Amino acid sequence: MSHTATTDTAAIESAVEFECDAIVESRDVVADDLLVLTLRHPDGLPLPEWAPGAHIDMDLTPEITRQYSLCGSPADRFAYRVGVLNAPDGRGGSRFVHENASRGSTMHVRGPRNHFPLVPSPRYVFIAGGVGITPILPMIAEANEAGSDWTLAYGGRSASSMGFTDELTAYGDRITLLPGDDISAMSAALDERLGTVRPDTLVYACGPEGLLTAVEARCAAWPAGALHVERFSPKVIDGAVDSEFEVELARTGITITVPADRSIFDTAQDNGVSVLGSCHEGICGTCETVVLSGEVDHRDSILNDEERASNETMMICVSRWKSGHLSIDL
Amino acid sequence: MQPTPIPLTDVDLTNLDYFEHDEAWGMFETLRSEDPLHWQDELTSDGRGFWSVTRFDDIERVNKDGETFTSTQFVNLEEPPEEFQDLRRSILESDGSRHLALRKLLARDFSVAQLRRYEDFLRGLARTSIEQALQQEDVDFVEAVAADFPINVLARLLDVPDEMTPQLIEWGNTIIGFSDPELSKVLVDSDEAQKWTHLPFRNPVSMEIFEYGRQLAQERRGGEGEDLISKLVNRMPDDGIPLTDTDFDNYFLLLIVAGNETTRQAMTLSMKALMDYPDQMQYFLDNMDKSQIMVEEMLRYASPVYHFRRTATKDVELHGKTIKKGDKIVTWFAAGNRDPERFSNPYDLDLSRFPNDHLTFGKGVHTCLGANLARLEIRILFEELLPRLASIEQTGEIERVRSNFVNGVKRFPVRVKAK
Repeated sequence: MSHTATTDTAAIESAVEFECDAIVESRDVVADDLLVLTLRHPDGLPLPEWAPGAHIDMDLTPEITRQYSLCGSPADRFAYRVGVLNAPDGRGGSRFVHENASRGSTMHVRGPRNHFPLVPSPRYVFIAGGVGITPILPMIAEANEAGSDWTLAYGGRSASSMGFTDELTAYGDRITLLPGDDISAMSAALDERLGTVRPDTLVYACGPEGLLTAVEARCAAWPAGALHVERFSPKVIDGAVDSEFEVELARTGITITVPADRSIFDTAQDNGVSVLGSCHEGICGTCETVVLSGEVDHRDSILNDEERASNETMMICVSRWKSGHLSIDL
Repeated sequence: MQPTPIPLTDVDLTNLDYFEHDEAWGMFETLRSEDPLHWQDELTSDGRGFWSVTRFDDIERVNKDGETFTSTQFVNLEEPPEEFQDLRRSILESDGSRHLALRKLLARDFSVAQLRRYEDFLRGLARTSIEQALQQEDVDFVEAVAADFPINVLARLLDVPDEMTPQLIEWGNTIIGFSDPELSKVLVDSDEAQKWTHLPFRNPVSMEIFEYGRQLAQERRGGEGEDLISKLVNRMPDDGIPLTDTDFDNYFLLLIVAGNETTRQAMTLSMKALMDYPDQMQYFLDNMDKSQIMVEEMLRYASPVYHFRRTATKDVELHGKTIKKGDKIVTWFAAGNRDPERFSNPYDLDLSRFPNDHLTFGKGVHTCLGANLARLEIRILFEELLPRLASIEQTGEIERVRSNFVNGVKRFPVRVKAK
C-alpha cells in the first residue's frame, strides 16, 4: 500500500503546503541590521526537505507575510536558518521580526518553495549584494560539494554590513569581498567574470536592483538560460509587498483603488464589474484587457517584449500600474 | 437535478458503468462530503491506485502548486513506462521553464484580444453549420451541430482542407475514446495496448496523426503562414531551445484532440441543459447582451472533462491522511464544479450566476490553452442557434462515451423546427 491513513475522520484539515508555528531557537545579529534566526519544528520533528535557492513564507501578522531565503544547510533536517535585514525604508515586516523574534518565540512558517533552483553545471559565477548573499550560501556549498569550479563576488554597503564573511573565508580565493558600495570595483569584478561568454558556465545573482541590472546587461550576449537571478526586491527576499494604485475603468465609469495585496481583477469584481478569468496566473489570456492610457508593469507569461512595450493590452489578474494615469477598457 | 449519493462502500471511480450511465455525480457527492481525500485501488495490471480530491478548494490548490503536485509524471490515469515518458511528453506533461516556453509559442494566439478578430469569421462558420443542420427535422445534435462547427474552426486554424474534417473527428474520437470499445479498437488497458506503450494513450492511431502532422510541418517550415502549424514550426521558444520533432508530434496531436472533442461535448451538454431548463433557454434569448457571462455557467454545468491527474513530489498531509511522495492524485473538476461551498444550488442551471469561477478549464499554469476559443465558439453557437429554433425536443436515448476522463455524449437525437 502506497499510502498511510493516520485517521479516518476528515476533521483534521491541513494545507497541502507544509506549515507550522516554528520555534525560534536562536537569534544572532551577524552584521549591521542583519539578524539570523534558527527555526525548529515545535514538536522536534524534521522539517520538509529543500534545495539551495528555496525560501519560506513567514506570516508575521495576519496582514503581513514575508519571504526569506533559507541560508542554512539542506542536510540539517531539523533547522531552518534565515537572514532578516532590518531595512530602514522597508514596510515594517523586517522590523517586526527584529523586535519580536526572541528566543523561544514562535513564527508561523509555510513552504519551502523554490523559484531560484541551482541547475547542475561544471562552472558557476555567483554574484551577491547585501542580504542577497542568503540564497547564495547554500548554493556555493552545494557547488563546492559537487566539485564544480566557481567564484563568488559579494558586495555590501560596508564591511560591517556584510554577514557570513567568517564562514565564507573558508573558501579562500574563490571569494571576492567588495565592501563599501564601491561601484567601480563591482563593475570591474562583473566585467572580469562576465565579459567573456562561457557556454559551460551558469550565473547566479541575487541583490539590489542596480546590481542585477548591471549583471543582466553584461549577460545579454550569454546563452538563454545561463543567467539566473533572484530579485532582491522586497517581494522575494524581504517582501515589502506591491503598492496600492488607482485605475480607471473607463467603460464602467469608475476609478478603483487596487490595494497592495489585491489584483485589478479581484478589485474590479469586488466593485461589481463583470470580469472573466481562469488561471489567475497570467498564463491563459482570459482577462486580457485593452489599456487606454498609462504604463503597465506587465507580469504575465503571454505578451512578448514588443507587446509589453506597446502597452496596448494587459492581463489584469497579475499585471499592475507602473506610471501615468492608468485607464483600461473595462 | 440533485443526484442520489452512492454509498462510500460502492464508490468505484474506475467502474466505467457509472460514468457511461451518467451516475458519477452520486459518487462525487459522497466523496466530497464524506471522504474528501479518497484512496481508489486500480485493478488494471499496472495501475498503482490513486488519491482523489473532489472539493473545489483542494482541486484549485493541487492545480496551483505544481512544485508539490507535478505534471511531469503524466496527467492521465494511465502511467507510461519511464523509458517512453520523454517520447510522449507534451506541454500537458511539462512543468517549469520549458512548459512556459512551449506554451507561449501559441498562448498569444488563444488570448482574448487576439481571438476577437476572428469573431465574425467564426460566426459565419457557425451559421453554415446551423443552416445545414436545420435542413432536416430529425438530427443527431452531436454530429450535425456540436461536431461540425468546432471541427471547421480547427480546420481553418490549422489551414487544412475541408475534406480532412471527418478524419480529424475520427482521430479525436479514437484518442479520447481510449476506454470506449465503440470508439477505439485498442482499449488503453487491453493486452493489445501493451505493444503501444510508447504512444499517446497506448493507441496506434497516434502514428497516423503524427505522420499527417509531420507532413504539414515539412510543407510549412520556413514559410510565412499564419496558421498554427506554421507558427509552431517557425517560432523559436522563449528558452532558446528549438522545438524537437517529438515536441512537435505531441503538440500537434494535442491540438487535434483538444481542439475537437471537448468543445463538442460542452456544446452538446449545454444544449441538453437548456432543454432541461426551458426558463433558462428563454433567459438566454432575453439576455443576449450578457452571453459572455452565461457561457461560464454552461461551461460549469457541462463539465466536459471529468479529471486530470498530478503526482506528489513529497509527502503531503491532507484531510488527516498522508499522500506519499510518488502517489497519483486525481483532481475531479466535475465534482468541484458542483461543490455547494462554492456554488449555491450547484445542480441548477442558473445563467445569471456571477461570479462563476469554475474548474472546467482547470487552474494554474496548465489552465486549458484553448479556453478562450472554446468560450467564443460556444457563445457564438448559442447566439446563432437559439434565435433560429421554433422548437427542439429529444427523440431518443442519449448515448454516452464510456470514459471517466471525458464527460462525453456520442449521440443526442433531437427533432428541431426552424423559425
